[in-house]
Amino acid sequence: MTELVREIVIDATPETIWPFLTEPDKHVQWLGTVAEIDPRPGGTYRVKVGDRHQSGGEYVEVVPLEKVVFTFGWDEPNHPIPAGSTTVEISLHPEGTKTRVRLVHRGLPADAIDDHGHGWAHYLERLATVGEGGDAGPDVAPDQ
Amino acid sequence: MRLVWSEELPATSIADHFADVTRPAISQHLGVLKEAGLVSERRDGTRRLYRARQDEVRKLLEELDRYWTAGLERLRDASEAAQHATDVEREKGTSDDRART
Repeated sequence: MTELVREIVIDATPETIWPFLTEPDKHVQWLGTVAEIDPRPGGTYRVKVGDRHQSGGEYVEVVPLEKVVFTFGWDEPNHPIPAGSTTVEISLHPEGTKTRVRLVHRGLPADAIDDHGHGWAHYLERLATVGEGGDAGPDVAPDQ
Repeated sequence: MRLVWSEELPATSIADHFADVTRPAISQHLGVLKEAGLVSERRDGTRRLYRARQDEVRKLLEELDRYWTAGLERLRDASEAAQHATDVEREKGTSDDRART
């Protein structure tokens, strides 16, 4: 199963970060222009991006200060990732006074890419580089 | 997707790989993938041949990667600003306490 994994270390506590994931007015400070979110299992996840792209899904699991899991996709006709068709998990991991935020996007129509050794390995290597304080340089798509 | 990633296959051989799935269901799935632009369809006489559109799949994933990467960077900036505000507030509180005692 292909997973998109992204991590970032934030110089803030989970208590500070959590409201940005669960409160609509704080959510739009980092993602979306309109956030219609009801963070409890079965609750709505609808985040409008820009003025027309509408993402949609629903919450699956919510553990305060630890993680949110929601289904995700795009509410657009014939979009390859329809609303609710994939799953996103965002988890918070305290590290001293900082917090590592890990995002895992599962269920993508991309199993074949891993089989052929392209794709995410490239980005994970870059992530490791910048994660250790290095400079991964400008992003150039992996060779095909 | 994996089956048709590097070779073009007719719907019948794709269906052979899924013993539990009916032919019409397979055709429907292929139709959805075609509509979404992730596979291409070519007619050869009465057969329909399918193949993955690798560039489209990659493009989709790269877009998604950019979407989350940019989002997390904004989450970091917003959270750090909020944390800083909280810290300043707390320090002010402590120094006020000290001034009073």
